[in-house]
Amino acid sequence: MAKLEAKIHMSEWQLAIVVFVTCIGAQIMLTPRGLIDQVKNGAWISVLMGGMYFYTATYFMLRLGKQYPDETIVEYAPRIFGRIGGGIVIFWFNFLFYMQVITIFYGVGRIITFYMFDRTPPEVVVLALLVVCTYCALQDWGTILRIQQFLFVIAYSILILVWLTSILNFQPENLLPLWPLDIKGVALGGFTTWGMYSGYECVLLLLPLVYRKVSLAKLAKTVGVAFVGLTIVFMLIIVLTIGVLTVEDAKNLPFPSLIVIRSVELPGTFLERLENYLLVTWIPVVFDTLAAMMFFMAEVCMRQWRYADHRPVLLMLVPIIYVGAMLIDNPQVGEILGKFTMWLGLTFSFGVVPMALLLAWWQKSKVGKDCG
Amino acid sequence: MAKKKWIACALITFVCIMISGCWDMRELQDRNFVLAVAIDKADDVKSVETFVQPHGSKRYRVSLQILKLSTGGDQKEESRTFIKSNTGESIFEMVRDMLGQSSKSLWFEHVQVIIISDAVLKEVDLGEILDFFKRDSEMRSRIKIYVTSGKARPIIEYSPPSKEPGGVYLANISRLHIKNIHVGGARTDLGYTIQYFYNKSNVLLPRIEMADKVVKLGGSAVFKKDKFIGYADDYAIAGLKMMLGTEKSAVVTIDSPKTPGHQIIFELFRHDTTLTPHVENGVIYFTDEISMYGNVGEIQGDISENDTMDPEFIRTLETAFAEEIKNNIYYADKIFKNEMRVDAISKFAAKLKAHEPDTWEQVKDHWDELYPTIPLYVSVNVTIRNIGSHK
Repeated sequence: MAKLEAKIHMSEWQLAIVVFVTCIGAQIMLTPRGLIDQVKNGAWISVLMGGMYFYTATYFMLRLGKQYPDETIVEYAPRIFGRIGGGIVIFWFNFLFYMQVITIFYGVGRIITFYMFDRTPPEVVVLALLVVCTYCALQDWGTILRIQQFLFVIAYSILILVWLTSILNFQPENLLPLWPLDIKGVALGGFTTWGMYSGYECVLLLLPLVYRKVSLAKLAKTVGVAFVGLTIVFMLIIVLTIGVLTVEDAKNLPFPSLIVIRSVELPGTFLERLENYLLVTWIPVVFDTLAAMMFFMAEVCMRQWRYADHRPVLLMLVPIIYVGAMLIDNPQVGEILGKFTMWLGLTFSFGVVPMALLLAWWQKSKVGKDCG
Repeated sequence: MAKKKWIACALITFVCIMISGCWDMRELQDRNFVLAVAIDKADDVKSVETFVQPHGSKRYRVSLQILKLSTGGDQKEESRTFIKSNTGESIFEMVRDMLGQSSKSLWFEHVQVIIISDAVLKEVDLGEILDFFKRDSEMRSRIKIYVTSGKARPIIEYSPPSKEPGGVYLANISRLHIKNIHVGGARTDLGYTIQYFYNKSNVLLPRIEMADKVVKLGGSAVFKKDKFIGYADDYAIAGLKMMLGTEKSAVVTIDSPKTPGHQIIFELFRHDTTLTPHVENGVIYFTDEISMYGNVGEIQGDISENDTMDPEFIRTLETAFAEEIKNNIYYADKIFKNEMRVDAISKFAAKLKAHEPDTWEQVKDHWDELYPTIPLYVSVNVTIRNIGSHK
């Protein structure tokens, strides 16, 4: 075994940071257009409802993990669903990360080549980012966690600071009417925000590191704080996007968040073209999300195939990720894949996990009766 | 082990070589910075500056004002910029063909202003002309757009006496709209214009004119959606700005009540303007409540007659200024509602949509016909806070 910084315990606050950092990634640039197009002025309510929906999903996951405090989903899924069923669930769980990772790589490549390096082929941008993320994901969880904590403080504060400059162009009237006429559409729009909140599924892998010392109630509260933070950040993005651009403008732009920042002029300063600053601060945010997700994918495979080290698996996954990201060759395919991944994620969170929880309760109660 | 070290060294060397330079590097001195763009009708096609087009016609003449990157030795030079032109139909195609007249690539990141001749706008929609600029990632959102009744190229050829680069000078004129009530310069740049298009709003763009080496901004070109329909004069723009509350400062003039034939001027410092839609029994009307605060800026005529220390005189002035502002707003309302029949920058529509969404849903499809019939009631309250340094 290499000299990796093995991690056998995490505090509940560290888990909250991981959830926050994994959820906020590329999607802050990629998702707003679709959401605003779908629910218009009610997008901010959808974000709020999305926060509640996905916190509920995460709570189910915490409860499920509590049933098996020393195991990850890879170990207990076969016991709940049987060998084949469990295998499907584990594949589904890992495939979710894979789909998110390739969609993010594709989106990042597209944005960076269009706005920053117009003469660099996206294949090169994606390759460079993939190399860096792979290097990070090759470390053990302790190192990755430290990087996440570091970036949580540095990258996110700068990103939000740059983003807040858009207040200069904010027009509150663009948000009106605040309360939309299509309530049902707004409620359903909450599920569309999965792209923003996705990543919380990682708790199914990390809970054994936390549950040795922390109770479910305490963990639910702390993860809840992470979700409050996520909701605030996403609300800030949606509200400022609509407030600066209007709904009609935002839904016609592939990356409205960038145009919001591009519109900012800081009079009397040498700072201009702020979208470049936003992109520069966004790259570390994307990096830590991707590195964490790649690590999770390798970790699932390692546990599933009973390897001692996640690194060979990760290196094996790298070409598969690269090819997957390169196969998305136009925005339409990207959009279809995004929707497919969203349904896959929603079904997993609101179908598979609650079912697993019910089955786990049922199986445990049966065992209890048999013993008694 | 030694073999592994060699492989590692080779790998590191390879990576260092591959990542040591910037793929997208373009040196500053290898770029031609475009500062202004002029779009005219292609009346006289000069064969040298154009190209063979497989499609379309010679519709526009596009001229680019380019910054001279001089070494700083020659200060006597007339202008800090030079102009290149081309004729064709696709702006992008013309720009690329212009590289045939240039030793360096054209760089649009610093474009300050686009000037369009109304002769072009009478034939083509504004949206069609701006598509290239909105699509290209080099363009800024805050590029100013002006319309001129004459030719656009001579305006970007203008060399400011201040020796500023022409494009920067032209763009900065508009920035002073906050002090110049005659210029409708707020939210008239590329970013906002595109935003208006997507919202199916009407557009106002500042009008620029040049005569005898004088360049001046005043009044606005008015667009119904993106179709040019004419010009609104300076006074109408002043009224519109006060009606919508987009002015930061203003100068209001009245005939002196004590010494007729002489003027007294009010300088606006702060205002509180609320344009509100009302719907009563299905009838739509708007109210505009304005409170203005400012100083006496200038008094012509006999100062002993116009005693600014007399509170009663000040009250009289306040009433007179309020009346003048009201007249100005009603003048703008008449111009836009009765003569042009256009909801300028669709502000009334936006207010109705924001505050009365149910009513808006009912009227949005025939808003253009309905708008000229909707009454506006204006109330103005002026407070003179100061009389200046002298009484």
